[in-house]
Amino acid sequence: MVAFGPRETTAFRRGTTLDGQPLTAKERERMLKPFLPPTPSTGSPSPAASRLPSKRKPAKKSRRPKSMRSFLTSQFHLLVYTIVHTIFSIWFRFRHAWHAVYYRFFALLYYHHRTPEYIQKDVKNLGSLPGHLSVILELNESDDEQGNAGLEGLVNDVCEISAWCACAGIPLLSVYEKTGILKNCIPQTHRSISETLESYFGVDRKPALSLRAPHLQSFSPPTTPPSISYPSSPTATTATTEPPRITVLLLSATDGRNTMVDLTKTLAEMAQKKALDPADISADLIDIELKEAVSGEPDLLVLFSPRVELKGYPPWQVRLTEIFHVPDNAGVNYQVFVRALHKYAKAQMRFGR
Amino acid sequence: MSDSFHNSIIWRWFASSPPVTWGIRQLREIFIGALRQGPIPQHIAFVMDGNRRFARSHKIETVEGHNLGFEALARILEVCYKSGVKVVTVYAFSIENFKRSKYEVDALMEMAKTKLTQLAQHGALLDRYGAAIRVLGQRNLVRRDVLEAIDKAVTLTAGNKRAILNVCFPYTSRDEITTAVRNTVVTYSKPHPPPLKRPFSETHISRNIRARQLSTVPEDMAAPKSDSRSTSPSESSKDHDPSDIEQSSADSTLMNSDKIETSPPAVTYLDPETITAETLTMNMFTHDTPPLDLLIRTSGVERLSDFMLWQCHQNTSIVFLNCLWPEFDLWQFLPVLVEWQWQRKKLEERDRGRPRYKLD
Repeated sequence: MVAFGPRETTAFRRGTTLDGQPLTAKERERMLKPFLPPTPSTGSPSPAASRLPSKRKPAKKSRRPKSMRSFLTSQFHLLVYTIVHTIFSIWFRFRHAWHAVYYRFFALLYYHHRTPEYIQKDVKNLGSLPGHLSVILELNESDDEQGNAGLEGLVNDVCEISAWCACAGIPLLSVYEKTGILKNCIPQTHRSISETLESYFGVDRKPALSLRAPHLQSFSPPTTPPSISYPSSPTATTATTEPPRITVLLLSATDGRNTMVDLTKTLAEMAQKKALDPADISADLIDIELKEAVSGEPDLLVLFSPRVELKGYPPWQVRLTEIFHVPDNAGVNYQVFVRALHKYAKAQMRFGR
Repeated sequence: MSDSFHNSIIWRWFASSPPVTWGIRQLREIFIGALRQGPIPQHIAFVMDGNRRFARSHKIETVEGHNLGFEALARILEVCYKSGVKVVTVYAFSIENFKRSKYEVDALMEMAKTKLTQLAQHGALLDRYGAAIRVLGQRNLVRRDVLEAIDKAVTLTAGNKRAILNVCFPYTSRDEITTAVRNTVVTYSKPHPPPLKRPFSETHISRNIRARQLSTVPEDMAAPKSDSRSTSPSESSKDHDPSDIEQSSADSTLMNSDKIETSPPAVTYLDPETITAETLTMNMFTHDTPPLDLLIRTSGVERLSDFMLWQCHQNTSIVFLNCLWPEFDLWQFLPVLVEWQWQRKKLEERDRGRPRYKLD
């Protein structure tokens, strides 16, 4: 805004001159000239460009000094680029260090001590809790950053997050991990999560756990019925009479684009057999199918990565999901989880209005 | 406090004085030129959020807020195209936005129409920027007169190749994906056109092959090399034909397979198994643009709100900024771009370092 004079600003906003006269197309072009790119075009000068030479003085000079000048300009720009990048890289490192200290402080402030009561106290004052929480985890091949590498570290993370969700009263947790390695060992994962829940709640108060993945049989202990149904309202969870129940859903990259491709294949086959009119394909139809095949829309998506990158998360489902991330964060930790829930409770839902 | 200072007469007089304006413009040019020296995202998407909140907090009309938002868009486009971004996609109007008050919707439509009409009057200038405008979304939801303005601007700039501005105007990503799925299904449910009559006959070819086998097999034993050349012209000659026909009629299985091939089923379709993610991508509105590198959403709201879901869920860097869209300028954009360049450089270094590590 500041880069324009008052004359340009008025023209821009009202389409008139300063004294209120409507501008003609010619006047507008005259006004625009100084803002145009300096070189008309890279290779071939178009007739339009030669008609409107740049207003800057140097452009009128002969060709040789111009190439010299452009060389000097590019050298100067390279210098500025280097300076800017040096300053910013110092700033990024400083910010990284500062965030590490800051998050350590938060981690001291919020710690669960593997006790459900502490977690319940942390989320007690929140107005709303997500009914469906989703997290994106990563399989770390080398443990240079967090010390939990490979499948073991991943299962450990899933166990901890499931326990936190169970304590906070979140009924459905979906865990996205790109490679889908967790889907290959569902019984073992189930046992690990159960053990973690036991260590949090004790043997007698342990919540019922159901672990499932799309297109695979739901894995739950025989004493509890598999609960695939979704709760109707997000807050109707913390019932004190019956033990809490948690469903953990494992997602991978194949549940994103590939599932949509499979759906398209099925639809195309149906259309070829004349069992379906392509005009009947609507967003609602796709939504219902994907909800049943994969999952519904999560209310909150928590990232533990330093930047926001979805890494192939199912695209259809993230439409209105609140995405929470902490800049420069590395690894799963409880303070991120608690802060995500706090942020979610404050966020207002507006649905495009 | 700072806000009142910002709006005070002295400050405005100072900021709009010619030397200051000139200086700031030169500074912008320097920074944009410096950005060009590094890697630049090829495709950036913006969610222009916060116009209404800006208007509310500055006690101006909502429509005026949208006008200021348009100004911010013009500034950002200037930065993008000068620094070498090929495609910019902006979320101008969501299908959900039709739920807003009729007054506001009408005003937005009117604004789109005016700006596009004005744009269409400057064909020559647009050629110089080399930017083509495209409007993505549900056309049938737009008023007829606005649609005409859209079409005019789109056709006028269609020939420009250097840069693209995608305006998502009544758009939602789910609608886009649904359209892509539907179009794919329509393509695959159309009967495949029967193959054109080719000037080669399959029976003739198989007969020739058999002729070759018959003539070469006995001679192979005697002289494999010297005689092969002399036999080749005799294959195509008609001398062997009578014996051939006898041979093939005796070979019943070959004849049967010939018959099956010559009478195909009445309707053939493309095989649905050949549908891939790529097929769907090619049916999206953004099919011919480079992959989305960067998605920026202003006003601190951290969700995608049904925008570019298919395009941004893989390797796109998503950035949520706290400033409102009308306040968005080079000074907010520059750190984002520099951080992107920095990350890109680090990724390249890591990729370059990895093979060396493996060799060790």
